[in-house]
Amino acid sequence: MVAVTVSQVTKRFGATEVLKGIDIQVPDGHFAVLVGPSGCGKSTLLRCLAGLEEVTSGSLTFGERDVTSLQPRDRDVAMVFQSYALYPHLSVRENLAFGLKLRKTDAATIKARVDEVAEMLGLGPLLGRLPKALSGGQRQRVAMGRAIVRRPALFLFDEPLSNLDAALRAQVRVDIRKLHDQLGATSVYVTHDQVEAMTLADVMFVLNGGVVEQSGRPLEVYEAPASRFVAGFLGSPAMNFIAATTVAEPGGEGLRARLGDGSVTIALPPRDGLGAGRSVDVGVRPHDLELCAQGEGDIELTVDFVELLGPEIHAHGVLAGTKVVACIETSAGAGIGIGAVIPLKIRRLHLFDRESGRTLR
Amino acid sequence: MGKRGIIDGRENEEPTARVPGPAYARIASLLVGAATLLSAAPASADEDAPIQLWHAYRGAEEDALAAIVARHEATGGAPVELLALPYDAFGSKLGASIPLGEGPDLYIDSHERLGDYRVREIVAPVGDAFEGEEGFRDNALAAVTLDGEIWGVPLSQKCVALYVNQGLLREVPATLEGIAALQPGLPEGVFALAYEAQGAYAHAALLGAFGGSMLGPEDSFGFVGEPAIRSLDLVQSLIDRGAVPNDADGALVTDLFRAGKAATAISGPWLAADLGETDVDYRVVQLPKVEAAGGEPMRPMLTVEAVMLSPHGAQKPEVRALAKLLASREAAEIRQATAHTLTARSDVPLPEGDAFLRAFADQAEVAIPMPSSPAMRATWEPANRAIKAFLRGELDAAAATEGARKRFDDVRRPPPPPASPTPLIIVVGLMLLYMAFGMVRAARSGDLGPALRRSLPAYRYVAHAVIAIGLLVLVPLIIGAATSLWAGRPETGHYVGLANFVDILTARGGPLLATGSFYLVLLVTLLWTLSNVVLHLALGVSLGLILARPTMKLRGIYRVLLIIPWAVPNYVTALAWKGMFHRQFGAVTGLIEGLNRAFGLSMEPIAWFSKFSTAFTANLATNVWLGFPFMMVITLGALTAVPGDVLEAAEVDGATRWQRLWKVTLPIIRPTMLPAVVLGAIWTFNMFNVVFLVSGGEPDGTTDILVSEAYRWAFTREAQYGYAAAYAVLIFLMLFSVTRLGEWRAKVKADREAAAVAEAVAASGGAH
Repeated sequence: MVAVTVSQVTKRFGATEVLKGIDIQVPDGHFAVLVGPSGCGKSTLLRCLAGLEEVTSGSLTFGERDVTSLQPRDRDVAMVFQSYALYPHLSVRENLAFGLKLRKTDAATIKARVDEVAEMLGLGPLLGRLPKALSGGQRQRVAMGRAIVRRPALFLFDEPLSNLDAALRAQVRVDIRKLHDQLGATSVYVTHDQVEAMTLADVMFVLNGGVVEQSGRPLEVYEAPASRFVAGFLGSPAMNFIAATTVAEPGGEGLRARLGDGSVTIALPPRDGLGAGRSVDVGVRPHDLELCAQGEGDIELTVDFVELLGPEIHAHGVLAGTKVVACIETSAGAGIGIGAVIPLKIRRLHLFDRESGRTLR
Repeated sequence: MGKRGIIDGRENEEPTARVPGPAYARIASLLVGAATLLSAAPASADEDAPIQLWHAYRGAEEDALAAIVARHEATGGAPVELLALPYDAFGSKLGASIPLGEGPDLYIDSHERLGDYRVREIVAPVGDAFEGEEGFRDNALAAVTLDGEIWGVPLSQKCVALYVNQGLLREVPATLEGIAALQPGLPEGVFALAYEAQGAYAHAALLGAFGGSMLGPEDSFGFVGEPAIRSLDLVQSLIDRGAVPNDADGALVTDLFRAGKAATAISGPWLAADLGETDVDYRVVQLPKVEAAGGEPMRPMLTVEAVMLSPHGAQKPEVRALAKLLASREAAEIRQATAHTLTARSDVPLPEGDAFLRAFADQAEVAIPMPSSPAMRATWEPANRAIKAFLRGELDAAAATEGARKRFDDVRRPPPPPASPTPLIIVVGLMLLYMAFGMVRAARSGDLGPALRRSLPAYRYVAHAVIAIGLLVLVPLIIGAATSLWAGRPETGHYVGLANFVDILTARGGPLLATGSFYLVLLVTLLWTLSNVVLHLALGVSLGLILARPTMKLRGIYRVLLIIPWAVPNYVTALAWKGMFHRQFGAVTGLIEGLNRAFGLSMEPIAWFSKFSTAFTANLATNVWLGFPFMMVITLGALTAVPGDVLEAAEVDGATRWQRLWKVTLPIIRPTMLPAVVLGAIWTFNMFNVVFLVSGGEPDGTTDILVSEAYRWAFTREAQYGYAAAYAVLIFLMLFSVTRLGEWRAKVKADREAAAVAEAVAASGGAH
């Protein structure tokens, strides 16, 4: 129940700068997700928030408190680890009560709180067991319970779902979000999984190479990625990128993009300050490619591979020398096979500067 | 002549022994006999084999012997094969080979072992090897004469005499008191007289002056009564006047004399050899007279080295001829010239002007031959303890010597009466019957054959291990356990059933917590084990935790340095620590003196081995030094099993560094440490080397633990192997039940956890 402010935080390990000036604001009670590929610094940032790593420079503020140089135990945070990090020698009950005991909470309160959390998470029958006698999902819940029982101001999650199988992951994802809403505490959640990021976050921070590449509400970021990296990182299957050169519309005012090997050109929506002869990347999400009637398409794709997913079909092909995927509703695309040439309409496209990777708006 | 003859011979001689010889001797002889059959060439059957001669000589004495033998061979004597053995192993080597008809035809040894050798039947009268009584010194002849027969041909004589540092002392006073009176005039730090005041061997010379001897008539304890008390009081007065160092051992006497810190020293010819090329200008004179004893001379113990014949060697004329030659006048001359030893012959003139040999010759005249009765061996331990207890001021002379006599009598008391072996036979028989019954039943049930065939390859894999373990572990264990049912000396022992155990467990009829009683020693052993394990753990775990920190620099070097105490053989370490704890010259005293100098303190040097608490502490310090690296290494290994994120979870949960250690790290490594603690406890429980070498049981056997006590019964008290074996069996039973208890607890715990896991798996089958 605090707002979290990270300002100008850097972190060095020897000569390696892992965090290069991070600024983050998480409003009170929000669920923030730090997402990015491995090595982007998201876990390091989380450990800095927990106090397990000291920041090299910059400051951390929880609510009104500057916690930059406080010990973990003085920050009023709880953390759920990727490996759960349960105390192997303690029963589930003792695991849950550990933090409270260290804080000299009286026994009756401990019992009440542990029972309450056990009830909330369905841990009741497991309280007497040792961690090694639990399944993966049960361990995950104990780890959650151990965090919740302390009623901290801030929850930190370090990829808590990555050791679970796919079905369980989806379920626990929902549980975590529900618990967050129920408890009302601020949460910071680290993941490399863009689905988790999209589904859980109130506010999302995409990290890349030690800097925040983009932040915002998940849908905003998805819809309007600030860079080619963000655009490519969010969404599944990933956005198609095709190198292109802008050319003037023959006899017109607008611009066209000559794609890839130059065999295909498409019309471009107008962009500020964009003239002919620029090197750009055209980005189209696979779901923004729509099957249309012959002759009405912006492009034609020669299909060389098809994945049938049930509700939709992923049609793989090569467009102007670049590999491209299109997601087509099964009902519309029935009968598409290898070798088919399908006409596609581009519902929406993104343009990125080739050099900087920034979005051209 | 084979081993049958020996065993038959013994049975004829000792018709009263119902069970001839302890089991282990029989089994051992059977094993060795089998080995002999396999080797198929028994040396004794070969007429042309060279004569086997064993000795324990080194250096010049060995050269002299070789020269004599060479002359013997050159003059057409039978060929001789010489074998030099370590002196300490001599008796046991003889005992292991001669009864089997092997080993030497003749050997050279000290006369005081003759009594023991006679009982063990490894020596025979010399017969015609001895000739010309008038050619030998009376004392030497008396030493080898037992029950009117001559059992060895005397070669040389050894006893202690007085070494005088001429740089410090021109004129030697005639009396001991006179020498002590010189003390005030001597330079600072110089003793008037250095000798092993706490040792019974050296004290015997003083006792002799008062007309006493260590062994009285009819094998009674001699170190009691008027002579003993007066001799002890005299020593005390010498020490009180500062004329004699209180706790010198042989090495220290040598060091003091060599360093010019002793005006005189009582020692044997070996001191001259140790001094070698030295700057000290010394001469040797006869030991002084003792005023307090009415001017009687000090009379040291005399050891006569003699040629002895093994029973099979004694039957060969050429062996007897060689023995005669070795003791002949010509040989004596060679020995005197080459090795500068005092020969046992009176017809060999001493070299003109050789004051050294002259002094020893004169000294030998008044020396008392060491009694050769086997009882002599049992006098040393009580006599040594009595002298030490007296000099520590714990007891007056009368009480100390009277206590020693009690202890001697206790050790020498007759073994329990022979018991009927019937119960044992019945028990063993029933066990065999039960096993046979089981095998028959298995065979009749019909699956034995197929089961055997199925498992045959497995048996082939384990066969060598089973045989090796059987021979190296099981057979000694069974023989040891069987030995505990016998009493008395190995040769004359008889089956006594459980009498040894009854004796031990009733504290030999004395008070339960009397000195040396089983229960007191057990308490000391438990205290010893507990304090060691606690300190090993504390130190080992602390160092392990420190070394495991990844931020520490030079970790590898520290790790190696800290493991070194473990890598050094522990007896080396033990001896080094014993030296450090020496009251006068040890490093600890040096440290205290250094502190005194540096800070103007006046701490007294500690006499580590004169009080139980300090002696125990010295042992403890040594064994902690030896033991902590093991715990440290185990800790380092166990710590790798502590996940880093669990510690971080605790940190976030609010644990301080200290709480993380006590509530997380230590509980997690506990299961790994537990077996190491059990192992460490067992090693410590049986840590013979440290106790034996550092405190040696001092003071008064109070720091002995069970295993060193067992050793004393076997090797310093009348060779009571059965009694010692009973101790060993009790130790084994205690340790065995402790480990079984540990295993049982671990098993119960594992079962409980397995049940919980099974339950968890069953529960997670439906829903996560």
